[in-house]
Amino acid sequence: MMKTRKLAVGYGSKTVVDNIELEMLKGQFVCLLGPNGSGKTTILRSLARLLAPLQGAVYLKGSLLNKLKPSQLARDLAVVLTERLSTGLLTAFELASMGRYPYTGFFGRLSEEDRQKTWEALKLVNAGELAGRYFSELSDGEKQKVLLARALVQEPEVIILDEPTSHLDVRHRLEVMAILRRLAREKGITVIASLHDVDLALKTCEVVVLVKDGKIVACGLPEEVLDEKTVAGLYDIGCAHFNRHLGTMELRDNGGEVLVCVVAGAGSGANVYRLLAKRGFAIVTGVIHENDIDCHVARGMGATVIGEGPFGEISDVAYRRALDFLEKTNFVIDAGFPVGPFNRRNVDLIKHCLGQKKIVCTMRSRKDAGELFASPARNLVYCRGVASILETLDGGKK
Amino acid sequence: MNLLLKQQIRYRFLYLLFLVMLFIFFILNIAMGSVHIPFLDTCKIVFQQQVDNEVHQAVVWKIRLPRSLATLFGGAALAAAGLLLQVFFRNPIVGPYVLGISSGATLMVALVMLTGLTAGIGGIHPFFLCLAAFAGAVGVMFIVLAVAVKVRDVVTLLVIGLMMGYLCSAVSSILIAFAEKEKVHGFVLWTFGSFSGFCWDELQILAFGGGVLLLGAFLLGKPLNAFLLGENYARSMGVNIKLFRYLIVFLSCALAGLVTAFAGPVAFIGLAVPHMARLSLGTSDNKILIPGVILLGAVVTSLCDLIARLAFSPVELPVSAVTSFFGAPIVIGLLLKRRTAL
Repeated sequence: MMKTRKLAVGYGSKTVVDNIELEMLKGQFVCLLGPNGSGKTTILRSLARLLAPLQGAVYLKGSLLNKLKPSQLARDLAVVLTERLSTGLLTAFELASMGRYPYTGFFGRLSEEDRQKTWEALKLVNAGELAGRYFSELSDGEKQKVLLARALVQEPEVIILDEPTSHLDVRHRLEVMAILRRLAREKGITVIASLHDVDLALKTCEVVVLVKDGKIVACGLPEEVLDEKTVAGLYDIGCAHFNRHLGTMELRDNGGEVLVCVVAGAGSGANVYRLLAKRGFAIVTGVIHENDIDCHVARGMGATVIGEGPFGEISDVAYRRALDFLEKTNFVIDAGFPVGPFNRRNVDLIKHCLGQKKIVCTMRSRKDAGELFASPARNLVYCRGVASILETLDGGKK
Repeated sequence: MNLLLKQQIRYRFLYLLFLVMLFIFFILNIAMGSVHIPFLDTCKIVFQQQVDNEVHQAVVWKIRLPRSLATLFGGAALAAAGLLLQVFFRNPIVGPYVLGISSGATLMVALVMLTGLTAGIGGIHPFFLCLAAFAGAVGVMFIVLAVAVKVRDVVTLLVIGLMMGYLCSAVSSILIAFAEKEKVHGFVLWTFGSFSGFCWDELQILAFGGGVLLLGAFLLGKPLNAFLLGENYARSMGVNIKLFRYLIVFLSCALAGLVTAFAGPVAFIGLAVPHMARLSLGTSDNKILIPGVILLGAVVTSLCDLIARLAFSPVELPVSAVTSFFGAPIVIGLLLKRRTAL
């Protein structure tokens, strides 16, 4: 559908991104990722012919983009830009109907068909009920949907969007991405968008293009391209960690002085880690199996993880390592992990700590703890939620 | 769909209202003045029937009628020019003179009135003044057009227009400083702007030129609407930005220049009427707005001229004073009533 050959984009004598070789197929959802100022917008503007390429060429459906008549281009390609609009007293419907521009006659009068198409587009983006309201009075998310409808009304084969999800709340962000994916899949529209969220890109688009330092760093399936190292390199992130399995970023922060040992597993620890990391505790956690979600979260945050191979019983080596760490701290947290054949020895770890008069917080109920730990359970500090863990720890510090 | 129908009814009603008001003010403008003329006689004169009183005949036919018509066309032209530029610059405080049109005209008039340029001719023929003013306006317009080719974005163009205005004003004020007192008085009166002293020949030029230009503005409705979304969106929808830019600058400058040549700089109409039209019609759709602005411009200017003539009759107030004095509160009121910013 769209292709670039040795494309160089930029402003005047300043080349922003060089040597761009891309190919977008019909119905493909392509995302551009890259740090601020890397040239994503410049590339998109060049693809949309809002900016003349410095070198090379852009082809749309096999013909040179610059040779197309403006009215023809407008029927093939629509844009959604980031610029703020001051539309005055224009209703959402009127704004969306402007997409009919290349189709209406000299006076721009809307035919019944034009109106119908506008309605369809507004309904497709779930903005039907906004039609009669003034565009300037809509929220950012609603505005974005209406702008998307305007682009759709143009009936293009390619839609180019510059950061369609910035300034939007979670709901609208997901809604917009879901709409885009649907357009690509059901209507066969090629969607090219620049994004800021790595996780959204990973979860929605078919092809990612990574832009950095004036060139295309990588291009391909997000599942293949977006790994920990590439993402960290793309954004020069030292303080956070991208996890491809979870598709999310965790803030790396484990520089605290007070060491806390968390015995967790099966997702019971994730919240506890985040809480402790935010409050500046250093975290050791174990023994956790490598396939456990707690392991991913803890590693992402830079906590010390005492790990064990997947689906294996806790070995003596790991157990002893855990004991070594437990020696160094007074605070132990039992995150309330489920107990099974593979991690039974974690129970022994806690019993050991209880014997040594350490402060052990548990998130289990009295009944469960009693059954699990037998008589030492009376030394436990029972915490209903993460908040009371924090109180106990703060009390213990003094 | 119901909503659309409601809008249509609102537009039709308001157009009709504007037309009725236009008619009323036009009649009043002809019928009233410092000389009392019976209404029946006025009608007779307008329909070119003989009246006994020759003075009355002359007052109505030679003074009031051309003046009233000129007011209509002048107001419509200024308001349309203001609307075009407000959309083009996407800026609500832009008026027809923002590109330095009035300053260019003023400079030329100052040259003619204040310097010895015309010493040999003796008295200055009013038509010569018009010619000078028009030359000034057109001169500035061509400079702006030449710049418009090279400039990337409209804001730069706007600033250049403003600077042109300042340059011209600076030269004008230097001329004033060196001029004789009596001449300065006449010049200052000219800068206030007035629709008085229109003769039929001048009116013909204004009506014909203005009519053609207004038609041009009307035909620009579609691209003008696309421009509401900004230059980039407009381009992506297939608007020929360069041509459009030329046309807008040409049309608005020519409209403003034409009025300024004959009536001097009339303030505020071009700035305020587009707002009044937008807020009363409740839309920014230029296909609806342009006819509305043309009608409303004529209505408001007629009313203001009427007030200017009658308020302290026989002393006539500068029409710019009246337009600003009544226009500003109206715009503020309309804006406060609406939640939306412009």
